[in-house]
Amino acid sequence: MDKSKRRFIKGAAVTGGVGLFAAGYSHTLAQMGKGVVNGTSGKPTQDPLHGNSLAPEYKVDLQSGQLISNDDQRVANTMCLGCWTKCGVRARIDQKTDKIIRISGNPYHPLSSREHIDFDTPIKTAFVGLSAFQEQGLQGRSTACARGNAMLEQLDSPHRVTQCLKRVGKRGSGQWQSISFEQLLNEVVEGGDLFGEGQVEGLRAIRDITTPLDTNNPEYGPKANQLLVSNASDEGRDAIIKRFTFNSFGTRNFANHGAYCGFTYRAGAGALLDDLKKYAHLKPDWDHSEFLLFIGTSPQQSGNPFKRQARQLANARVNNTNFSYVVVSPMLPNTSNQPCAGNNTWLPIRPATDSALAMGMLRWIIDNQRYAADFLSAPNVDAAKASGYRGFSNAGFLIISEPTHPRYGQYLFASDLGLPFDGKAYGEQDSQLVVDAASGEVVFASQSQKAKLDVNQSVDTPKGTIAVKSSFQLLSEAAHSFEMAHYAKECDISEAQIIALADKFTSHGTKAAVISHGGTMSANGFYSAWAIMMLNAMIGNINLKGGALASGGSFPAFGKGPRYNLQEFDGMVEPKGVFLSRSKFPYEKTSEYRRKVEAGESPYPAKEPWFPISSPLLGEHLTAAVHGYPYRLKAWINHMGNPIYGQAGLGEAIGEQLKDPKVLPLFISIDSFINETSALSDYIVPDTLTYESWGWTSAWQGTLTKVATGRWPIVEPRVAKMASGDVVCMESFLSQVAMKLQLPGFGENAVKAADGSLHPLTRAADYSLYGAANVAYLGKAVADINAEDMYLSGVSRIQSELNTRLTPDEVKKVSYLFARGGRFEEMRGARDDAGNPSKVWPKPMMLWNPDVGSRRNSLTGEFMSGCPRLYQPALADGTPLDKAFDKSQWPLLISSYKSHTMSSMSIGSDRLRQVHPNNPVRLNEKTATRLGISTGDTVKISTPNGSVIALVECVAGVHPDCIAIEHGYGHKELGARDTVIDEIKIVANPLIRVGINMNDLNLFDPSRNGRYPLVDWASGASARQGLPAKIEKLS
Amino acid sequence: MDKSKRQFLGKMASVSVGVALIPVVQVYAQDDKRSPQMHSAIEGQVGKRYGMVIDLRRCVGCQACTVACTIENQPPLGQFRTTVQQYEVSQQEDTTPPAFLMLPRLCNHCENPPCIPVCPTGATFQRKDGIVVVNNEWCVGCGYCVQACPYDARFINHDTNTADKCTFCAHRLDAGLLPACVETCVGEARVIGDLNNPNSQISQLLAANKTDIKVLKPTANTAPRVFYIGMSSAFEHKISGQAPVRTLLTDTGVEIHHGH
Repeated sequence: MDKSKRRFIKGAAVTGGVGLFAAGYSHTLAQMGKGVVNGTSGKPTQDPLHGNSLAPEYKVDLQSGQLISNDDQRVANTMCLGCWTKCGVRARIDQKTDKIIRISGNPYHPLSSREHIDFDTPIKTAFVGLSAFQEQGLQGRSTACARGNAMLEQLDSPHRVTQCLKRVGKRGSGQWQSISFEQLLNEVVEGGDLFGEGQVEGLRAIRDITTPLDTNNPEYGPKANQLLVSNASDEGRDAIIKRFTFNSFGTRNFANHGAYCGFTYRAGAGALLDDLKKYAHLKPDWDHSEFLLFIGTSPQQSGNPFKRQARQLANARVNNTNFSYVVVSPMLPNTSNQPCAGNNTWLPIRPATDSALAMGMLRWIIDNQRYAADFLSAPNVDAAKASGYRGFSNAGFLIISEPTHPRYGQYLFASDLGLPFDGKAYGEQDSQLVVDAASGEVVFASQSQKAKLDVNQSVDTPKGTIAVKSSFQLLSEAAHSFEMAHYAKECDISEAQIIALADKFTSHGTKAAVISHGGTMSANGFYSAWAIMMLNAMIGNINLKGGALASGGSFPAFGKGPRYNLQEFDGMVEPKGVFLSRSKFPYEKTSEYRRKVEAGESPYPAKEPWFPISSPLLGEHLTAAVHGYPYRLKAWINHMGNPIYGQAGLGEAIGEQLKDPKVLPLFISIDSFINETSALSDYIVPDTLTYESWGWTSAWQGTLTKVATGRWPIVEPRVAKMASGDVVCMESFLSQVAMKLQLPGFGENAVKAADGSLHPLTRAADYSLYGAANVAYLGKAVADINAEDMYLSGVSRIQSELNTRLTPDEVKKVSYLFARGGRFEEMRGARDDAGNPSKVWPKPMMLWNPDVGSRRNSLTGEFMSGCPRLYQPALADGTPLDKAFDKSQWPLLISSYKSHTMSSMSIGSDRLRQVHPNNPVRLNEKTATRLGISTGDTVKISTPNGSVIALVECVAGVHPDCIAIEHGYGHKELGARDTVIDEIKIVANPLIRVGINMNDLNLFDPSRNGRYPLVDWASGASARQGLPAKIEKLS
Repeated sequence: MDKSKRQFLGKMASVSVGVALIPVVQVYAQDDKRSPQMHSAIEGQVGKRYGMVIDLRRCVGCQACTVACTIENQPPLGQFRTTVQQYEVSQQEDTTPPAFLMLPRLCNHCENPPCIPVCPTGATFQRKDGIVVVNNEWCVGCGYCVQACPYDARFINHDTNTADKCTFCAHRLDAGLLPACVETCVGEARVIGDLNNPNSQISQLLAANKTDIKVLKPTANTAPRVFYIGMSSAFEHKISGQAPVRTLLTDTGVEIHHGH
């Protein structure tokens, strides 16, 4: 029997226009015969053969390789912001219209090329390298993804905000008036009766960095903390926002979109890597691995960096020897590749149960001693090196394991034993201890060659006996908390499959790796991500060829650089107090806790959960402000953030309250579009798009070499100008606010150069220009630009801007950077002679993390586990979701996935949206049959606090319990509804409204006091995976 | 001194002194007399035979090619010269999990193109390098070629009312550049090149994978010059399966567009 006949083939959720080809075809039928008689009546094309295709940007002679430029176009290397991968792109610009006509990849940029070209390559050579000359462009291609190609449409979109807007009528009315920048500045700084609704405090009144905002709770900090500043993420301009927020205005409250992006993963990875400050993570060595495991991430579909990892994985499929991978997900992901079936497999899993799979694998690996014993027992990097490893772990480190001990969950230190140590007891120079495998003695971790792994004993100290366990022992006990059968049942993957996967994972030495990401954004996400990432520690793959790698790093622009000190300034404020989101601060240090203890009450539960291991959480900032705990806000400045669209349940939870000036008195957005969040604001400051603005950023991870992506206005900004002639945008707004308030860090003498001279920080470009000079001079300074590069790269258009602030020498070097779209370390810097990565993660892999294990859940008072273990998705008070919400009523689980075409902000592009115009939900065909649902049916999907109407596709590629929803659709703004500015209506495009937004399927946490969207109890990150739901057929 | 050179130096005058003194070499403007002759758009690149290999093992289904093509070639919205369709392939027995196949499609620039003989005006023809093109000034939009193409690769452009299709970006190939879809192919799945040159990358790829090369509808006697690596035979012929949902609905149930 022909194998192919047994196949079922479905046009799945994503297609490139079967129907649209058909649409063209039916139109053709109507035209049949008509043309023969009448001739064509259409609009003539520009060229008889080439139709309306664009003129080439330049020509390359196929014989000589000579480049012939086209004076009607320029090509500029800059940065994309179609999603948050932030790739380097090259843009073709029409010289006459100043419009961007097409975008592809920047060949200098590691995120856009498989092997980026050397930084000192002349621009001309780079262009020829992209051409058909000697077929160079095939190997040397530098690409943009679908979004990257399409985002140029944003530039002149009718829905763009280009002038300062002030609301007319109530917040969210969609009606605005345009005002001058100067009026906007005056109103937001000075306040007054701005809307005829009563007095509004301006930023001047709010900025008080000495008076406590709450005398009963002095730890909350000064009144200035009642300004929240948020930035969607670091798209190259984060540093100036933080400078304004923390060090000039002096508020503690800042946040980005991490809490509703992939923070569970970052926190879990950070816990593993002993980095709960910046939450470092790992990426596989795509080029040399033999087996990769993806749990809760689909590298060919999304993730940072999406495009690069998709390309490297595609290459590995064809070129790596003995290579295979498994992708674990509730829904069949794009990372699945049928032509290579056999070396890649989709393993379906019940939503939000990744930790059961990972803990099952850990248990089997420990029970069968399949872990890299030499790696785990090496208590320092030198000992590990002796066994061929390039990192180490704390598996043998001793942890105080007596729950009643005041230092439970923390390391046993030299100072505990009365042994000599430097610095403060329990400080950085106090030594961790292990039981030496050879001598059986308790010794300094730094002085043992091999530590005992399974330690469970008492240690005599001058203060008595202390029970200790090794990190490994604690992890082993956590893994043994449940039987394999329990793990299997929980995640709906058979015991045999869990074992097979663990066996496979541990069968390639260090040439294997596991990663995760947003699939762990569930109500047990932190521990799920940590459990997944812990598998890497079992094989000791860190910093090794074929294993799990650290970030390639950056050339930092905004630090204390070689040319300008952008980190420090005279009078800089040190922000103080508790973040609104109660992050990075243990509940046990609050006045609330103290008062309860003093009154003889149980200090638990806290009024609302605290998140001691987490970064600031934008969603929790906002719900805190609305509920007034720990305190309220007086103003919010939001740059590009869209938590109302982006965080599950947040819009329904607090959207109405945010419209109430009594709850949030002043709300200023800075954005180039009106999104679901900025639609609620009082004022909108127009912002420059990535193609119009200055900035310096880097890759999140995934490159082996240093990346500094620089961007510059490759076209004339479309935004309004202020009276001074400077463009209105985020930087100019914050600078002008600071100057009007006479805050430190901005103004005429705000920036100190390395030679001690003082320089102004007053204009939109200033901060990034100084940053550019820093990048140019870091280490060995880059070359000066030559005339040819200047001509071909389009940077001549910014020369006058560069000259206003930089020295002539700096201008030449900064121009060299911008011509290349940043600064990039050469590929040859990626690896050492043995092929191992040059950049290494220096800290231990943490089997037990004392910073986690010594903290308590602020509601239950129980210790958080200091190592991964199985937690079910649960409410903040620990109640499992399947207990809180009756399974008979809510039989299914929602899981969202990232789109490979649509990001949260790309829906406005017509040429992108036409390729993939909707997001019908995907349902398992057997589940659908049971429910009487067929493909194309209209259904109502409900969660306990929300419902939407959607279309369904019934497929084999979804777990039977899962409703799979693609992110990026169901917009209410960004052009989805009519907007009125100065009584002129900007008509909505109904195509922008199409589809559903998973985040409208709300789930409020019933264990909290008020409407709070469900979050991961440990990290406070948004829970959008595994929400209980039901589905009903409507038609 | 010729005009283009003067323009060039004029531009440089705005550059700070020092930089402008660096001699300018080998950058010629488009109308420079010394620029080499480009190929005739009608004849094409004589001696070459263009073809494309699409390595499905590498395709990541990202749709970058689709979007790059639509921006480069500016067909009306909703009409495409290339598409990437995504198929879920599952087994009846349910023993192995389903998998995705991404299938990029475009004009096959056949050796025996059925679209050409049916054209009543001669507007559709094949260049000497194998690229099948349409002369928009001669095309009357009768649609016979659209009917004749077994690959649904042609359409009547709603703006021009003429037959429209992929040209392998002949305007770029003739300028020594790569087609839009190829140069932005994230997985490096699309490879274009000269089939007459045994040393070209496409010829090498075809040779190295000769047991795994397929074309669409091999029995249609069209001799396609778009080749696929890694394609299951199930995809060679008309694919009968469940079509994707094309209706556009809002989350309140408002139908924006009714799909076919």
